Amino acid sequence: MKIRINKITIYSIIIGLILIVILGLSIRGNIGNPNSTDLLSSKWQLYGPFELSPERGRFALLYSIVEDKSFYYSIPIARFVVPDLGLKNGHYVSLFAPAISFLLIPGYLIGKILGASQVGATAVISLFALVNMYLIYRISLRLGCTRIIGVIAGLTFLFATPAFTYAVTIYQHHVSTLLILLAVTILLEKTSLISLFLVWFLCAMSIPVDYPNLFLMLPIGVMALKRFYNITDTKTAFKITLHIRRLATVSAVIIPLLFFLWFNYQSYGNALQLSGTVSTVKAIDNAGKPTNPDNTGSGIGERYTNPESQDKSAIRYFKPRNIINGLYIHLISPDRGMIRYTPVILLGIGGLYYITRRNKQVAQISIGVILADILLYSMWGDPWGGWAFGSRYMIPAYAILSIGLAVLLDSWKKSKLFILLFFIPLVYSICVNSLGALTTSSNPPKVEVLAIEKISGHEEKYTYARNIQYLLTSGTKSFAYQTWFSHNFSPIQYYWIVTSLIIIVFINLLTIIFFQITI
Amino acid sequence: MKNITLTISFPKSIYTRVHKFVITYENWITIIVLSVISIISYWTYYANKLGLAYNDARSHLDIGRRVVEGLKPGLAQLGSVWLPLNHILMIPTIWNDFMWHSGLAGALQSMISFVVTGYVIGLVLKKLRVGFWGRISAIALFAANINILYLQSTAMTELLLISTMTLGVYELIRWHEDNTILSLIKASFWIMLSTLVRYDGWFLLFYATCLVISHVWRKKGYRSAEGTTILFLTLAAVGIVFWFLWNQMIFKDALYFALGPFSAHTQQEQMSKAGVLITKNNWWLSTKVYLYALLFNSYTYPSILGLLGSLVLWFDRSIKSEIRIATTAYLAPLLFNILALFLGFSVLFVQGISGNTWFNVRYGIMMMPSIAIFVGYLIDRAKSFRYVLVGSLCGVLLFAFANHDAVTIDDARVGSSQKNVTEVTSYLKKYAANQTGFILISAASHDAIVFSSGLPMKRFIHEGTGKYWESATAMPDQWARWIVMRTYDDNDLTWKSVRLTSGFKKYTLVAKYPFADVYELKPEYIKFLKTEPVYGKQK
Repeated sequence: MKIRINKITIYSIIIGLILIVILGLSIRGNIGNPNSTDLLSSKWQLYGPFELSPERGRFALLYSIVEDKSFYYSIPIARFVVPDLGLKNGHYVSLFAPAISFLLIPGYLIGKILGASQVGATAVISLFALVNMYLIYRISLRLGCTRIIGVIAGLTFLFATPAFTYAVTIYQHHVSTLLILLAVTILLEKTSLISLFLVWFLCAMSIPVDYPNLFLMLPIGVMALKRFYNITDTKTAFKITLHIRRLATVSAVIIPLLFFLWFNYQSYGNALQLSGTVSTVKAIDNAGKPTNPDNTGSGIGERYTNPESQDKSAIRYFKPRNIINGLYIHLISPDRGMIRYTPVILLGIGGLYYITRRNKQVAQISIGVILADILLYSMWGDPWGGWAFGSRYMIPAYAILSIGLAVLLDSWKKSKLFILLFFIPLVYSICVNSLGALTTSSNPPKVEVLAIEKISGHEEKYTYARNIQYLLTSGTKSFAYQTWFSHNFSPIQYYWIVTSLIIIVFINLLTIIFFQITI
Repeated sequence: MKNITLTISFPKSIYTRVHKFVITYENWITIIVLSVISIISYWTYYANKLGLAYNDARSHLDIGRRVVEGLKPGLAQLGSVWLPLNHILMIPTIWNDFMWHSGLAGALQSMISFVVTGYVIGLVLKKLRVGFWGRISAIALFAANINILYLQSTAMTELLLISTMTLGVYELIRWHEDNTILSLIKASFWIMLSTLVRYDGWFLLFYATCLVISHVWRKKGYRSAEGTTILFLTLAAVGIVFWFLWNQMIFKDALYFALGPFSAHTQQEQMSKAGVLITKNNWWLSTKVYLYALLFNSYTYPSILGLLGSLVLWFDRSIKSEIRIATTAYLAPLLFNILALFLGFSVLFVQGISGNTWFNVRYGIMMMPSIAIFVGYLIDRAKSFRYVLVGSLCGVLLFAFANHDAVTIDDARVGSSQKNVTEVTSYLKKYAANQTGFILISAASHDAIVFSSGLPMKRFIHEGTGKYWESATAMPDQWARWIVMRTYDDNDLTWKSVRLTSGFKKYTLVAKYPFADVYELKPEYIKFLKTEPVYGKQK
């Protein structure tokens, strides 16, 4: 057998390796296999990879399943998870959709063998991020873009948006994005039973990953539904042809849904109970009982000391009246706005116009997913995503806009001025988002800052300036830095090395377009 | 593997018949569906008792009732606080106690207006050559707004104003196209009606007049413009002229409605002195506050699409420029409300922007038909993205319904537009309902109490009862068994009038509540009390 290795293959391998290196250098974590007591220390929480409750919540469930063989949390694990801890039938349980915790198990186990279980689990998310990059590349090619432009689009998504931060820590966003992109990729291919089966599987799988994915997947589901029938217009009649075997592919939803129902039953004793509707425990006392987090005693005690009296709803916090504020937060605000964190990705909006001209179906799905994402999370009562870096809920939209960016670049690739103009927001976005990835996601929303300042007694930053401050004072949370490079470089030097590496890759790729070099 | 398919064949003749039926009866289908929605909606808010939550709704009903029942019934009871059309339309039904106390006498016209507006939205879009699905989407967007559904179930003026304005502009658009006198007269008629509902109509009249002048002047020159404008205003301005005359005749001051003690101007002046009229003389804040009210009422996303739709329409060269210009009249409520806030003629509180409460946030709903029209246009022109737009709109509306998201209801329930007078009315029901004697009360301050007490209007002596009021405020002990008023508040006309009279000393404070206190005549003086009307028919 003769293996042909051409220049483009070598080039792709080099780019791929650099990517893996950059992500590897950025993954947050500590060496070691923490036990439930270790996890309570500031090494793992405040100064480590579990600074916020979404990361803790998902890791806690993973830990509980693997180490304790239980869906119920032990008291130390429950303490690790508060304030996002559930209580059902007297047991402490997860408040998060379960799939991520299950998906991370292989990474956790491999990591454990290598002596870094948390890093192993986090690396699974990084792997999903890499696949997302690849899918953006694939879809861009399918839309007629050149390979280089496809790579630029994928890299922009990965390193020039807050997706970078959430590729090196345990969050659900990259998995949700992968399901969306994979479904789009499949729909772009010729319709077959297997492809439809996979699309339905992905749609259903998205729910246990993150419940709002149900709405994000709707445009894709609608598009898949349209594959079930054909309408032909003859002279005398309209013929609706239903493809029965295609219709049967909907059965693919059974497997993920069964998993989901099984998990709910095991955790909450009710297969139909969503974790978002389980009572919340905000604090635990010395005896391991729920307690009032407000130790002044002035809070509304009953709902904390007797959490099961809470009346929670899965949709109550999605209100259209929040849209104005939500749009402001996601698009413009200094604490989360796209315009501040990733202006380069906004160019993708222009690209949607060109997608419409190239492939209407992709344009429909793209606009549908973006609208679903932005509207849903603008209606959400907490559009900031708690303490976070940038607008993390917009990660699926960033991915779609990256595809738009690819098509825009492809349409304007001969304009040297455009490429130069593209480079400016690109570099800015890379610098900002590398900060997020290498330091902390723990940025408070602006609305909380005054209250925090009262407690801390000093000015609290809430934009990426907080990350700069963190870099200057506390360093970086990078596993690689802490394990291998802390003696060789300062955190600032390390930040510049990683950032420069990313920019160099982009310069290399843009040079090829700029000078129209043929590989 | 063999592909298994099921083929269903629809003969085109069936499709053609169904299509023809829908197109032929589209208007009737629209009217029937909207009527059903309207009735269900009214029933819902009647059953959950929210239909009368607005303080103003109860006042509107009382005004209508006083025309037909009370110590001094008659048209003069229409007063000057509000423009009269709403109350005039109540007269045929308000005499019935159920119609009065259920609020149906006032809601009925709102309900009819709701149906009419939905129907007219379809007509406007037909005129703009928008297809069936665009029209249906626009009507559905209008009808699926909980704020609209709520207001159409109450005795408030919004829906009547919305319908007359939408109709007026529709006829104006028709006139811009066909240039017939009949269309112009129809436009002037509906605009005239709108001027008798709220002052927003006056601004529309001004805007429409500008459109009429510019249209004819450009086409036929100054002379024709002058004549056409006079023709237009002859009917369109008659409502305003009537209102001036009415105020002159009844209150001896043509500007009483604008500058009198119960006018919005006086109220706003008091607010200005209290420092809460923050939009006055502030363009930025006036625009911001109104836009927030508009966005909250419309659920924001439809407004964004409406903006896009309006731009698509105004830049669409396939539509005659005259028609495109005429459709700008649908922006009149936006311009008027910002102007009114700036000039201090209007007050609007949006929670989080101007204070921590709602007040008059319903003004933001005035643009809803315009938004629906522009969105309908956008959906029609979006072609292959139609489903995406409709789907995303459905998503937003779904969450609105699932979470009962309606700022107008919040305003009515917990905002400054509410007035929970349950305690004081419970007292009156318990002690006054089964005993003889009049109740002295200021309707200007306490109409909600008059309404919610459930007592007949003729049990109350208020400012509009002529000699009864004059006598009772001079010698309360001879006329009023109970006095309901805010003690120590000179804005309460009863307190202002009776506090220094000797008769007031003969009363005991029997109940003290957040909105009013109740005084009762001491038992030893009851024998001197007049308990029956004695003045007969007053002029």
